[in-house]
Amino acid sequence: MRPLASVASNAWVVYRKEMADALRDRRTLAVVLVTSVLLGPLVLVALSAFVASLEERAEKREVVVAGIEHAPTLANWFARQTVVVKPAPTDYEARLRASRLGDPVVVVPADFEDALRRGDVPVVEVVSDSANKQAESGAARVERLLQGYNRERATLHLAVRGVSPELLQEVQVEPRDLASAQSRATQITGMLPFFVLMAVLYGALNAALDTTAGERERGSLEPLLTNPARRVDLVVGKWAAVASLGMLIAVLSCFSFIPAQWLLRSDTLSALFLYGWREALLFLAVLLPFAAALSAVLMAVAIRCRTFKEAQAGTSIVVLAISLLPLATVLNQGGEQPWQLWVPALSQQLLMTRVLRGEGFGVEQVVVPLVVCAALAVGGIVAVARALRAAAVR
Amino acid sequence: MIEVQGLAKRFLAPGASRGLLGLRRAPRRVVEAVRDVAFAAPDGAITGLLGPNGAGKTTTLRMLAALIAPDAGRMAVDGIDVVARPREALARMGVLSDARGLYPRLTARENVVYYGALQGLARDAANARAEALADMLDMKPLLDRRTDGFSQGERMKTALARALVHDPANIVLDEPTNGLDVLATRALRDALRWLRTPAGGGKCIVFSTHIMQEVERLCDGVVVVAHGRTVAAGTVGQLLAQAGERDFEEAFVKLAFAQERAARRAPAVAG
Repeated sequence: MRPLASVASNAWVVYRKEMADALRDRRTLAVVLVTSVLLGPLVLVALSAFVASLEERAEKREVVVAGIEHAPTLANWFARQTVVVKPAPTDYEARLRASRLGDPVVVVPADFEDALRRGDVPVVEVVSDSANKQAESGAARVERLLQGYNRERATLHLAVRGVSPELLQEVQVEPRDLASAQSRATQITGMLPFFVLMAVLYGALNAALDTTAGERERGSLEPLLTNPARRVDLVVGKWAAVASLGMLIAVLSCFSFIPAQWLLRSDTLSALFLYGWREALLFLAVLLPFAAALSAVLMAVAIRCRTFKEAQAGTSIVVLAISLLPLATVLNQGGEQPWQLWVPALSQQLLMTRVLRGEGFGVEQVVVPLVVCAALAVGGIVAVARALRAAAVR
Repeated sequence: MIEVQGLAKRFLAPGASRGLLGLRRAPRRVVEAVRDVAFAAPDGAITGLLGPNGAGKTTTLRMLAALIAPDAGRMAVDGIDVVARPREALARMGVLSDARGLYPRLTARENVVYYGALQGLARDAANARAEALADMLDMKPLLDRRTDGFSQGERMKTALARALVHDPANIVLDEPTNGLDVLATRALRDALRWLRTPAGGGKCIVFSTHIMQEVERLCDGVVVVAHGRTVAAGTVGQLLAQAGERDFEEAFVKLAFAQERAARRAPAVAG
């Protein structure tokens, strides 16, 4: 039997070599850093710019009307509401369709005033395009404005006839929103965990393939096994290097959201998106075990492939699963289910969403994903160690 | 000292795909790669494993390197049983296998030192060995270059240095001259001849080849392998006498061909 120290030192030798090797692959590293570490914050910033422009429009007291000259009473109402009326461009339909006009258009018919006087109900159109997000978000505001006008006239008519307007309102409806500010923000920041998961995946993927299928393709696995090192030591060293890279990317991407907040343009979003050191550390507590498990699984898949290319095809199943599993939270309207904590990727998504909502998580929610990750890591390492010798000579 | 007796190995080859989508498979085929290989390679001598392509040379050497478990037979390196104590046997062997891939992003020195560390050498010792081997193999200028873009000869030198980093008493090389030009081949031959001498360490060197000239020029002992069997063994002179030929190539064909006729008379088990 070899002493324990030499077993550990073999894994350490392999670890150091694989890290040096992977860190010298500058081009791949650069691509991973740009796509996975910068992408999340960039999307966050772009999102905030979008939200900011929506907010601007919501606050803007403007309404675009076609044919305001037919409706002096409506113009008077807008003026009393301190809303500025802007004439609609003649080709407003085309512009709305092409998303070049960001406001819905109120269309007043030519006989508006006559119809009102006769007691007919004139039709006022609010023209928008549901594919045009900006115009669509303004449509509700314009409709509310027109309802106000409607209500005022109706109330006046009832008052003239001596009827209390309260008769029209037997029940008073008041909305009460239970969502905290943070949980409202997760509607927008909910994609964050997805970006972080993908970052970890792409951080580990290249090294996982290079240390297994890549080693086979180069023909360096067979000579490696002619060293008097135990196969499991070799695999543990390789796995530790792959997992370290995944974890490195996890750390970088988790902390990259902290400076990204300074760039948030929307005040509302930056007030809602509370992401500080505590949240980053909780994210890491979820992601580091996941990186360890994912590395082992990717390696176990890739060691069965003869070439890097073949391994890329093989691991695309894992990539697909990790991108699709979190969708379960979108498709499943039943809320969090206990079984979801047993599903890798999905459980990480759940826990990170909880952190963003400001709810945090207890030990009992971490134990299950942790056990699953540990089992996957050990299973993956054993599978690679078993497959190693056969893979070397085939 | 390497001793091999009654070595045998059969593989189950997956059947060829059939049908439009390749989903149906032919039944598995039994391939008897090695049936009965035996040889003894003494210290301070170069022993050539000579045989045509597919004779079972690579499989034999892979079993010797503990990469494949044999079905039958016994292999010992300096008296250490390879099957029972593979890691101890490997520590006494330097193996240049058929596949000799290097790590392209590491320098030649790093490639060599990596294997030294895996053999249990301290960093300084491994570095010193890398320098000494670079001297012997005439590859000093290569040492601190990344191996990406090395020529075949440069790759072979690096791979050989890597295999010899722990100064093993036994050296096993699988078709080492494959893909090498004349100069690289001569350099390799010189290195092997030197390693055989007492000054070079009096190593036990076993190498496989299918090239006659290689054997004639280099080997103290020759083991002729055909169809997975050792069919003849001895010095070049002894084999010429045994075959009754003056040309070594003729002698080799005669020895291997006789075996082939014997194999035809007693057909192999096919599944």
